Amino acid sequence: MGRAYLGEFEELVLLTVAVLDGNAYGVTIAAELKQRTRRTISLSGVHIALYRLEEKGFVRSELGGATSSRGGRRKRLFGITTAGRQTLADMRDVRNDLWNAISSPSLS
Amino acid sequence: MKNHPQLPPAWADRLLKWLTPPHLREELLGDLHEQFAEQAEAVGSRKARRLYALEVLKFVRPFYIRERLRHLARLSEPDAGYARKEIHRPAFFHPTDMFRNYLKIAFRNLWKSKGYAAINVVGLSVAFCICLFLFLTAYLQLTYDAFHRDGDRIYQTYFVANDPERVSKTGGMPLPLTPALKSEFPEVEAAARVLSGRKSSVEWKGKGFEKLVLMTDPDFFKVFTFPMVKGNPDVALLELSSIVLSETTARTVFGSEDPIGKPIQIGTGPDRKQYIVSGIVADPPLNSTIQFDALTRIENRPGYASDKDNWNANSSSVFIKTAPGVAQASVENRLKPFILKYLGGTIEGLKKKGARPDDRGDLFALRLQKLADVHFSREINGGKGAPIALIYILIGIGAFILLIACINFINLSIARSFTRAREVGVRKSLGALKQQLFVQIWGESSVVCFVGFGTGLLLAFFLLPTFNAVFQSRLSLDHVFEPGFLAVILGVFLLVSLLAGGYPALQMARFNPVEVLKGKVSLKRPGILRNSLIVTQFAMSTLLACATVVAMQQVRFLRQQPLGFQSEQVVSLPVGSQSDGRQVLQRLRARLADDPAVVSVTGSGVNLGRGKDRVSSRSVFGFTYKGKGVATDWLLIDYDYLKTLNIKLLAGRDFDPAYRTDSVSRIIVTERMAKALGLKNPVGAFIKDDSDTTGTPMQIIGLVQNFRLYSLSEEERPITMHLSHSEPIHYIFVRVTPGSLSVTMDKLKAVWSEVAPQSEFMASFLDENIDAWYQNEAMMSRLFSVAAGIAILLSCIGLFAVALMVIEQRTKEIGIRKVMGAGVAGIVLILSRDFVKLVLIALLISLPLAWFGLTMWLNNYAQRIELSPWVFGGIGLSALLIALATVSYQSIKTALMNPVRSLRSE
Repeated sequence: MGRAYLGEFEELVLLTVAVLDGNAYGVTIAAELKQRTRRTISLSGVHIALYRLEEKGFVRSELGGATSSRGGRRKRLFGITTAGRQTLADMRDVRNDLWNAISSPSLS
Repeated sequence: MKNHPQLPPAWADRLLKWLTPPHLREELLGDLHEQFAEQAEAVGSRKARRLYALEVLKFVRPFYIRERLRHLARLSEPDAGYARKEIHRPAFFHPTDMFRNYLKIAFRNLWKSKGYAAINVVGLSVAFCICLFLFLTAYLQLTYDAFHRDGDRIYQTYFVANDPERVSKTGGMPLPLTPALKSEFPEVEAAARVLSGRKSSVEWKGKGFEKLVLMTDPDFFKVFTFPMVKGNPDVALLELSSIVLSETTARTVFGSEDPIGKPIQIGTGPDRKQYIVSGIVADPPLNSTIQFDALTRIENRPGYASDKDNWNANSSSVFIKTAPGVAQASVENRLKPFILKYLGGTIEGLKKKGARPDDRGDLFALRLQKLADVHFSREINGGKGAPIALIYILIGIGAFILLIACINFINLSIARSFTRAREVGVRKSLGALKQQLFVQIWGESSVVCFVGFGTGLLLAFFLLPTFNAVFQSRLSLDHVFEPGFLAVILGVFLLVSLLAGGYPALQMARFNPVEVLKGKVSLKRPGILRNSLIVTQFAMSTLLACATVVAMQQVRFLRQQPLGFQSEQVVSLPVGSQSDGRQVLQRLRARLADDPAVVSVTGSGVNLGRGKDRVSSRSVFGFTYKGKGVATDWLLIDYDYLKTLNIKLLAGRDFDPAYRTDSVSRIIVTERMAKALGLKNPVGAFIKDDSDTTGTPMQIIGLVQNFRLYSLSEEERPITMHLSHSEPIHYIFVRVTPGSLSVTMDKLKAVWSEVAPQSEFMASFLDENIDAWYQNEAMMSRLFSVAAGIAILLSCIGLFAVALMVIEQRTKEIGIRKVMGAGVAGIVLILSRDFVKLVLIALLISLPLAWFGLTMWLNNYAQRIELSPWVFGGIGLSALLIALATVSYQSIKTALMNPVRSLRSE
């Protein structure tokens, strides 16, 4: 694979951005991940992953949508890019291939 | 400094801003706040605040710190791009390379000597953590009332009476004083009477709450700085029926409704009155002398009309604010004729008693106390102030412990410096300047200091709840980030790093490179300084240990003093202001009359010990009897008081419902009272005030043994007990049969809700309340024991490390001694001897000092223990043994070593 490396947590975050299409920012992503993975998710970690993904060109972001519970501060909304989608699809293909190659039926 | 529970902790936000680059701040803070709002909704704001703090702490990550540093670097180097290209700059102008080398060497060094670094860091962090607590406590006390604007112009007024028996100072002022002051003194800008008293019931829509209603004047807001959240401070108290609530009170009484303009009821019985809420004021901070839940006009005080022109009834405190530029002395001088005009009678009275004027020429004077001193003046405010000596002791102990940690640091650094002598030599011969070397080595120590401080802060963060619980304080780390305290911390840090790092660095920078490279310096022994530091350490530790043991003994002694009554199996019930005590007592008696577990029920005006309501009151009655002045505690009791408390009747009888006049003019006195009256056989005697010609005399019907109504630190007076129905009963005591205490408690609770539905059930056990009298002393002894334990621990760590190094240097010597035939015991003796000598010197210094200081402290108590030489001997011996044990691990190990190995090395 000639693409940029994507860590497990980064992959999860990227997938969540795709899931939340249009309403993906720190709090919603963390909440979604917490609910789906039952892990303890810290905002600081989520943000680092988002900034790295943006550096690699898998997500793009814009500022917008201040609410009163945020003390009037704007949020950074993230959206997945074509490159991001492509990477996710590639990773999925690789995994599917690997799963299909497992001979023992007990693992599936 | 206020805490809004709905908002995340401010210090966390500050930390985040400090940690993250500005271009990310808006979105990060926004996300955090949004998540906080959700969590506050889901799990409550308390827990959400904690989670928030944790969430922020997780931002301490390399990613953010790198970004932040990058940003800072951009700020300091506007033309960074250009500078990076210029390679041929001389190192002198571009010192970052050198710094990088210093840092690298520093970390390599620390890593190489992990053990020493760990000892330093542990010692410093423990010491710093303790210091943080102690200094924080002291800081809160010393900044009492400092939040008022123009505090230097605010004064409390007080009277000084140079009575020939005892000079007395009091802050209780007559009501007409304030209006007179305001009209006759143009330099008094504002003046407010302040009357706080008991808690009273605040009722709205049938729900009642116990709140502290402070009665004052409209000038209150001009004198003090209590910011209004809602309403206008200039007009809030203009109406007689206005009331201003504190934020918390407004929230508890009205919930989410807007209280402004709503009517509420205050008080019970005939004093009950309706008020209109006219404003909301921020809660008074913890370190404010004036505490209140609500403010009303002083004119609403019961009996105001009859006392408003009475110059002889002292009740409220008075605070004034003078105009700018007016000196305290000039106002006090102008007050002299003022007092002569209004209170000339008092001066005459004192003159008749033979009073002499004091050094300022006054028999009786009105003087001013600076607001900053009000918190510490126990005399003026009826003993309520904080003892300032205690605060200095706290600071002293903090400094002690810090000093011990510093000494460890210095000793280790000096000892270690010889192993690095060669590095210094090489650097010097390569052209390093003395200053550069100093900065390098001092910087290394600063790194260790910094790590120690950081760990200490973290430790403090985790130990704070424990500390608050043990010492009943309400510290919060929010105060750490206040500029004043930050300055203190920074100062302490600089001092420690200069003291602990600077001296060894100076020593090393002075090394002569030629000698060092020849290997000569390592032979020199850093004798006197290191030894005197160890002596200081142990002297301080044993001093603290002595204080601990003696304080504990004194507290135990105080607790074991005979009370004169039996406090076990008695439940104390405060009635509270919502209910009529006498009615409640009657109903309770009727309900419990046929309960087999209840022995007797009685009432009183004064609680014994310190109960859950924390209220303590004292009414003293002074009169002249046959030309002799007698002052007695005037105690209201009810039937069965003697039986309930098991007070021994020596002669006569107890009050009895069968005698109707018992409740009017009969009294029971203690032995001490009989002695004060000069009566050998007091039962049956009639007493009355000489000057009182109309009143009925009181007849003594019973004599009881002396008993303690107040704690041992307060003056003990004779006691006179009466039944008068005109005074209210505030406390009910119930004696139960042994073994039924907990069952009866549940039952009492159930009965209480029937007999006194408006009052909260705040029952407590009398013996526990009595223990609470000695809380201050108990707290002191706990504090000392913690401090002494840590001091000894730190000293031992230091001694251990020094012993380790010294013995390491003597390995060869030991090897030779063994070869020559020395036995293990002999070698251990030789190795330990030096240290034992040091500890002995330390004991010689500290034990007499401790003896002297503790004798002074014990002299404050009327009832005190005698110092026993055994205590001091025991502590000295154990200090010696602990030191020996610390050293012995190393010395025995070395003595057992095979000499072949130690001699073959090198």
